[in-house]
Amino acid sequence: MIDTKKYIFTFVITSAIFATAFFTSTFFSNKRIESVKSIQDNIAIDILSSETQFSLLGEVPCSNVGESSLSPELSTLGDKLSRTEADRGTEDKDVIYLKKYYSLLQIKDYLLSKKLANKCGIAKKPIFIIYFYSNQGDCPDCEKEGYVLTRLREIHPDLRIYSFDYNLDLTAIDSMKTIYRVKSSLPALVIEDKTYIGFKTVEELEKLLPDTLKVATTTVSKKAIIKQNTPKVIVNGTTTVATTTKVVN
Amino acid sequence: MTYTILHGLMYPFLFLSIYFQVLLLTSFFENKKKIKKEEEYEIKNYPTVTVAVPCWNEEKTLASTIDSLLALDYPKDKLSIIIVDDGSKDRTLAIAEIYAYNHPEQIKVLSKENGGKHTAVNLALEHSTSDLFGCLDADSSVEINTLKIMVSYFDVDKNVMSVTPCIHIRNPRTLIQRLQATEYLINIFVRKAYGQLDSILVAPGSFSIFRKEVFEIVGNYRKAHNTEDFEITLRMHKAHLKVMNSHKALVYTVGPATAKGFFYQHLRWARGFLENSLNYRELFFKKEYGNFGMFTLPVAFIFIFYGLYATVFSVYIISSQLIISINRWVTVGFHPQMPIFDLFYFNTTAMSFIVMVMFSMLLLVLYIGNTLSDDKQQFYFNFPIFFILYPLFAPLFFGRAVIDTFFKRRNEWVLQDTKK
Repeated sequence: MIDTKKYIFTFVITSAIFATAFFTSTFFSNKRIESVKSIQDNIAIDILSSETQFSLLGEVPCSNVGESSLSPELSTLGDKLSRTEADRGTEDKDVIYLKKYYSLLQIKDYLLSKKLANKCGIAKKPIFIIYFYSNQGDCPDCEKEGYVLTRLREIHPDLRIYSFDYNLDLTAIDSMKTIYRVKSSLPALVIEDKTYIGFKTVEELEKLLPDTLKVATTTVSKKAIIKQNTPKVIVNGTTTVATTTKVVN
Repeated sequence: MTYTILHGLMYPFLFLSIYFQVLLLTSFFENKKKIKKEEEYEIKNYPTVTVAVPCWNEEKTLASTIDSLLALDYPKDKLSIIIVDDGSKDRTLAIAEIYAYNHPEQIKVLSKENGGKHTAVNLALEHSTSDLFGCLDADSSVEINTLKIMVSYFDVDKNVMSVTPCIHIRNPRTLIQRLQATEYLINIFVRKAYGQLDSILVAPGSFSIFRKEVFEIVGNYRKAHNTEDFEITLRMHKAHLKVMNSHKALVYTVGPATAKGFFYQHLRWARGFLENSLNYRELFFKKEYGNFGMFTLPVAFIFIFYGLYATVFSVYIISSQLIISINRWVTVGFHPQMPIFDLFYFNTTAMSFIVMVMFSMLLLVLYIGNTLSDDKQQFYFNFPIFFILYPLFAPLFFGRAVIDTFFKRRNEWVLQDTKK
């Protein structure tokens, strides 16, 4: 004899377990988004603070513009954003919003770094790589280029890499694409204001980097080092690039 | 896209799996008092019992099997043992005859050409005139009170037609035997819970006891794809005969010591299950066969394919990660880094929580299985071996069984399984 009530009761319990699992998962996923947003807000404040400080530079010597000038959390943010994108998917509206915010913060960081370099001279001048990628399946080499940039960043901690999703609908990124003449052929890399299209190995990129980076890297142990983070490269849900070290006199 | 589809298809199976576990656990806990009461059953009238011991080249283990039967706490004049030598080429027959010579009032020896286990048991059946009939594999042994406990079920409830015991692996030593020790612990719980639903899947060959009229109703044993015990259970369910489980009736059996032996044993079980289930497909989803037809049998059948699908999904996930790692190594070389501990990166997907619940319930099942019988095992030591090795073996024997069944291949491999 079949006890229908027992089967219904079991169905209710099983459904409750499933509902709890989905609820818990959504709860933690939202917590993740909140965490990323919180980091972004902190970075925004940091950058605003740096910009304000920079405005005062006319009255303040360069030696006073130390580690606080650039956001230390941008690297962590890139990493966490990458994980969030992997979990929720590239089409998730929260992920898209966070990526846009992250891209803007990178641009602001890039502009501020350039201003600082110009104001405070060669010794502080960081080397930039701007990287355009796509994770819509139309760039088979983007994933590999991400590994290359991560490795390059490990070898040259002074390197500053800014990554941008080519397909992100953001006017600031469109402007960057126009300025650096980046078309749909990806991956695209901008080094020292020159644009390079197509996959580049670690060795090929090292040849393109200015000598000052190599000097700075080899003499790093002789100078005072202040830990500082740089943005990460996000390619197909894979995060790249670790912390950087800034050499100061 | 592929991942989304594969991932999505996992959820119905996970739901069914949780449903199955919840149903068994609720059935067990709501009948806990009844199960406790079973332990107090006593025999008022001792029925006569015949135990058949089919042997095929069992010279190493036969003596201990017969010794355990002779030591049973049961009236000697009510218990007879029939040793059937199924054409052994070793000293099995000689050992059996020594026992028969020493215990002529209890032991009878029959010898025949090799014809398979079912023919040996059927020969014993023909020579049995007892009220109850059972069979004990020649590599298994029983505890002193096993038969008494099992017979009590027949004495208390006249509708009980068969009683299955609680089977343990004897002295698990090798990794494979430890794996099986955990597998058998799970089966102890599952069989008990199935018993509460009147839907025991298999009355195993190792010392399941039957009323003699069972064979008059459903017929004798058949070859049944070398799983005669499962097939006769199917016939019993078809005839609406009641099968119960006695969790305190301990039987010890020897598990295959090697991976090869384990594989072929489980391949035989899996193939036999598939073939016999298909032969008795008329039982599927029929209300008249109760929980067995509506749930136990169909779910067990589906689980074979679920297991294979879960393997495909796992292989897809692992190989995807592996391809990423290889791609990275090929591109920039191997540069290992220390993993970073951050709660942010913990896996919090719904599937991970569901799998955690399944895992927790499985641990509970193991715990209950271990506490049900009187023989407590160090399952916490053996179960990691089970969780690591079983998922590696299961897709192999289930996959092969499905392929063999589909292409109707002959069972040449059955000779590899020493416990056929």
